[in-house]
Amino acid sequence: MSDPAPITLDPRIPEGPLEHKWDTFKQEAKLVAPANRRKYTVVVVGTGLAGASAAASLAEMGYTVKSLCISDSPRRAHSIAAQGGINAAKNYQNDGDSVWRLFYDTIKGGDFRSREANVYRLAQVSASIIDHCAAQGIPFAREYGGTLSNRSFGGAQVSRTFYARGQTGQQLLLGAYGALMRQVDEGNVTLYPRREMLDLVTVDGRARGVVARNLVTGAIERYSGHAVILATGGYSTVFHLSTNAVNSNATAVWRCYKRGALFANPCFTQIHPTCIPQAGDGQSKLTLMSESLRNDGRVWVPKLKGDQRPPAQIPEDERDYYLERLYPSFGNLVPRDIASRRAKEVCDQGRGVGPGGLSVYLDFADAVKRLGEPVIRSRYANLFDMYHEITNENPYQVPMRIYPAPHYTMGGLWVDYHLMSTIPGLFVAGEANFSDHGANRLGASALMQGLADGYFVLPYTIGHYLAGIGPGAVADKDPAFDVAERGVREDVSRMLAVNGSRTVREFWHDLGRIMWNKVGMSRHEKGLSEAIAEIQSLRQEFAKNVRVSGAEGDFNKDLEFAGRVSDYLGLGELMARDALQRRESCGGHFRDESATPEGEALRDDDHFTYVAAWRYRGEGQLPDMQQEPLPFERVHPSQRSYK
Amino acid sequence: MGGVLGGCSTSSIGKKILSAITGLGMVLFVVGHLAGNLTLLLGAEAFNNYAHFLKHLMHGAFIYIAEAGLLLFFFTHIWMGVTVWLHKGRAREEGYEVAGNAGGESKKSLSSLTMILSGISLAIFVVIHLLHFKFGPAEAQGYLTTIDGQPARDLYRLVIEEFHKPLPTIAYVAFMLFLGLHLRHGFWSAFQSLGVGSPRLTPAINTAALILALVLAIGFLALPVYVYFGVDIPAATRVVALEVGP
Amino acid sequence: MTTNGHTYTLKVWRQPGADRPGRLATYTVTGISPDLSLLEALDVLNEDLIRKGEDPIAFESDCREGICGQCGIVVNGVAHGSKLGCTTCEIRMREFAPGSTITLEPFRATAFPIIKDLVINRSAFDRIIARGGYVSINTGAAPEANAIPVARDLAEKAMDAAACIGCGACVAACPNASASLFVGAKVSQLAVMPQGHAERERRVTRMVAQMDAEGFGNCSNHGECEAVCPKEIPIHVISRMRREYIRASVKSVLG
Repeated sequence: MSDPAPITLDPRIPEGPLEHKWDTFKQEAKLVAPANRRKYTVVVVGTGLAGASAAASLAEMGYTVKSLCISDSPRRAHSIAAQGGINAAKNYQNDGDSVWRLFYDTIKGGDFRSREANVYRLAQVSASIIDHCAAQGIPFAREYGGTLSNRSFGGAQVSRTFYARGQTGQQLLLGAYGALMRQVDEGNVTLYPRREMLDLVTVDGRARGVVARNLVTGAIERYSGHAVILATGGYSTVFHLSTNAVNSNATAVWRCYKRGALFANPCFTQIHPTCIPQAGDGQSKLTLMSESLRNDGRVWVPKLKGDQRPPAQIPEDERDYYLERLYPSFGNLVPRDIASRRAKEVCDQGRGVGPGGLSVYLDFADAVKRLGEPVIRSRYANLFDMYHEITNENPYQVPMRIYPAPHYTMGGLWVDYHLMSTIPGLFVAGEANFSDHGANRLGASALMQGLADGYFVLPYTIGHYLAGIGPGAVADKDPAFDVAERGVREDVSRMLAVNGSRTVREFWHDLGRIMWNKVGMSRHEKGLSEAIAEIQSLRQEFAKNVRVSGAEGDFNKDLEFAGRVSDYLGLGELMARDALQRRESCGGHFRDESATPEGEALRDDDHFTYVAAWRYRGEGQLPDMQQEPLPFERVHPSQRSYK
Repeated sequence: MGGVLGGCSTSSIGKKILSAITGLGMVLFVVGHLAGNLTLLLGAEAFNNYAHFLKHLMHGAFIYIAEAGLLLFFFTHIWMGVTVWLHKGRAREEGYEVAGNAGGESKKSLSSLTMILSGISLAIFVVIHLLHFKFGPAEAQGYLTTIDGQPARDLYRLVIEEFHKPLPTIAYVAFMLFLGLHLRHGFWSAFQSLGVGSPRLTPAINTAALILALVLAIGFLALPVYVYFGVDIPAATRVVALEVGP
Repeated sequence: MTTNGHTYTLKVWRQPGADRPGRLATYTVTGISPDLSLLEALDVLNEDLIRKGEDPIAFESDCREGICGQCGIVVNGVAHGSKLGCTTCEIRMREFAPGSTITLEPFRATAFPIIKDLVINRSAFDRIIARGGYVSINTGAAPEANAIPVARDLAEKAMDAAACIGCGACVAACPNASASLFVGAKVSQLAVMPQGHAERERRVTRMVAQMDAEGFGNCSNHGECEAVCPKEIPIHVISRMRREYIRASVKSVLG
């Protein structure tokens, strides 16, 4: 294949000063008249925070919405598991917060690898999210006077995190879910639960619908519309063991990538520092504990390598509180990427604790001594109970053991300021897009972004797009649907026909090991090259030797997972390629070759201040990378320092 | 009235509200009944006077009004109970192979699980009880006494005689155990059904239900036992009183 | 931590489809570490079945940390197992004596038809929520968040009710298969929060009507729901729902 023409990635950022860009966009955006909106159908794939809020808001405006949900109910989406909170620049605590500061913290937290305009807009609409969610009756934590409480979270120097106990994600999701179900009741949204999107359908270059599998009957179904919103979450499950849910997967974004949507910064993944370590081989997921634990817990390992003594018998001067030692001003509250990488480092040095030396202590003994057990209990009881439950160890008596786990993916489908991908009419929201978090996401910002996209950005940008294309009928009889459906059927039949000797899970397990070891917390040229080769051979083996049980026309989890793992094998390789080309360290992406003498991530702004957007070029072809430069007009990238 | 009943009875909550109101109404009656029965301990005169008083209260109207109300409550309560029970079968057509109890805060108990059985037993009891006493032998059959010089029914003797027969005595005791069983769950449940429940109130009501169930069951069954073992059958005298009349 | 595994006998409800008869099938699993969760033990068994060319057991789960509400199995006769305050995915194998028999059945209720094996359809819950489990406010219409103060203890009370994960264990455990705890939880949350007051009568009336229409049984106050609820939602939410219902009925009569 000859070299394809490079694409000019136009982020379509409105002119004018940063503070006015969003207003400018809204003033200039085309509108669809209320009476005409019902003539437009929007297909929303995914019902997490971004998908449910977008579907509900669009339906409230009068658009016709088809909402596809992979679970039995929209309320199950993995947004529900977010514990800590949601950021907003309300400055309720009078501690100097502002839209600018939230914007700056997010840009800096992302290690200067995100787009200024998008992040600024995110900070601007953050306050409206809290207004809306409070009006939905979400039981946020309150002060005695009845006003909303805040806490400081994830190393922020202001208290801007709103929360509902340790279940903020759940409460926000249920709010969005309620809004969605209200629109279902009013007939504006048709809900299609237990559907897995398997392909995107484009007609004349525009996204016109999706093909999905009915997970109960196995039927391949068509959903047509004037625009498609993908809100299908991240791809941490490429690592096999992650904090994500069993059904979280990358199939929707991957198949859109294969249809021509560019995939941006796939190597930007976040490894969360405070997870419960893996206990055994049959384990299906890693459980995250809120990083608020680091507010009171102290992280340490023995100074001695291979010290097998129980923690209580290790005297104070033989302990290394390495985060406090290395980062005197932030201490245990350094950003996630640093906390994770340092944990791996001490474990690699042989100073890790627990089975296999794959964990570090998170010790509450000092906090209990200082504040008393009741205070600690009131702050963390549910987390302590959960830990006790899983590990059979009582964290009030012995230090917790924690280890990092893949948690969030900053990378995702490339989108412009309108949240539209490179395929016109295909919008991408929430974790599925790449837009706001750069190379590292701050705590309590995922919920903010998902809801910002769904409630306050897409309703405007989609209207603008739809007004531009007109309400012409979209038929799911179009030959493009036939082609997509046939492709999906062939994929399914091919996987079922292999009848090899290794299960889907074995392949996933193997891929996860490669990803964790070589495309994980620290990466280097050799390892990444090896990873690419290993993944390629694993993919070949998968095609020849996978064993998928059951039938096509049935409820068949094994078949569902086969399709997903097949996609992970492609995406894993792309992540490795992206990590390989980015010969700098930034945020969650740490290249051993690019570090300061103290071992901190060293950015290379001269060469890598861009978004890497990958274009699919066909099976067996190398993808090509397009660059979207990141011109920083208002902030000056600086080396992050948490010392 | 029928309309309101019909309206309430179509909603699951309405059914429970009707059930609760009628149930609590009957509890009030039963408490009054027990208090009245205790006059038995004071002897024939007190007991018969009490019966006579009730019969002639409000020129005899009271008893009919009370009976009409009780009948309405009685049948509504049964109607609701049976509907709920029938619905239960439809709501879970195939049961579990293994039965278990969650424990913890559950209030599931022998009492709560047997409400329909204890309820039906009590309904049967009420019929027998009425046949025994209300529609049982009266003046014409020789159970005659005088109150304030007027001829009246000697209910006292009827009661004492009945409770010297082993079978009715045992049956009464058994039925009263069912009453206790029914009230153990029914009483607190009625409050819960009426929306009277809170973290502080519910434990108190639940304890009250246990006490009430015990007091009523023991109170009612103590009388037949006491009579059986401790009271002699009075002689059927005073028939002469008839002759004094005209 | 123990690494050498144990052997268990699993009796699992197998039912190929909604209208097909089901039965308990018996399997033996070996080498199960006590640190594995029950669902991970099922994963292990399924891998075995797939290798042997048999149909794996269909069961559902998603977050595997007790918050999404997707999992739900009746374990030895108790919804989500006998350990209080946890979901099926939070059950660890160390809770079962080595060598013991564990019986797994689907949540049973007419309103939750079986799809396959241990998988049920809980869409009835969605349809109930659709009738009022929200505050009817359009995006963009909200007042300033602090404009409506909410007393701290009310917010806490609302949160207690809002913790519901919609798993359906309350229905599964209820001797009458009633959904009152589920509906009561949502009604209570929004009856307590001032933001929910404008439409409280409409909400409770419509949600209760839908609950009844779905074919759930009537609540007889057994309280088994509270005991199995993984979020330990108290049955006081049911009494609050009834208060709301009575309030709505009285208001509709009196105008």
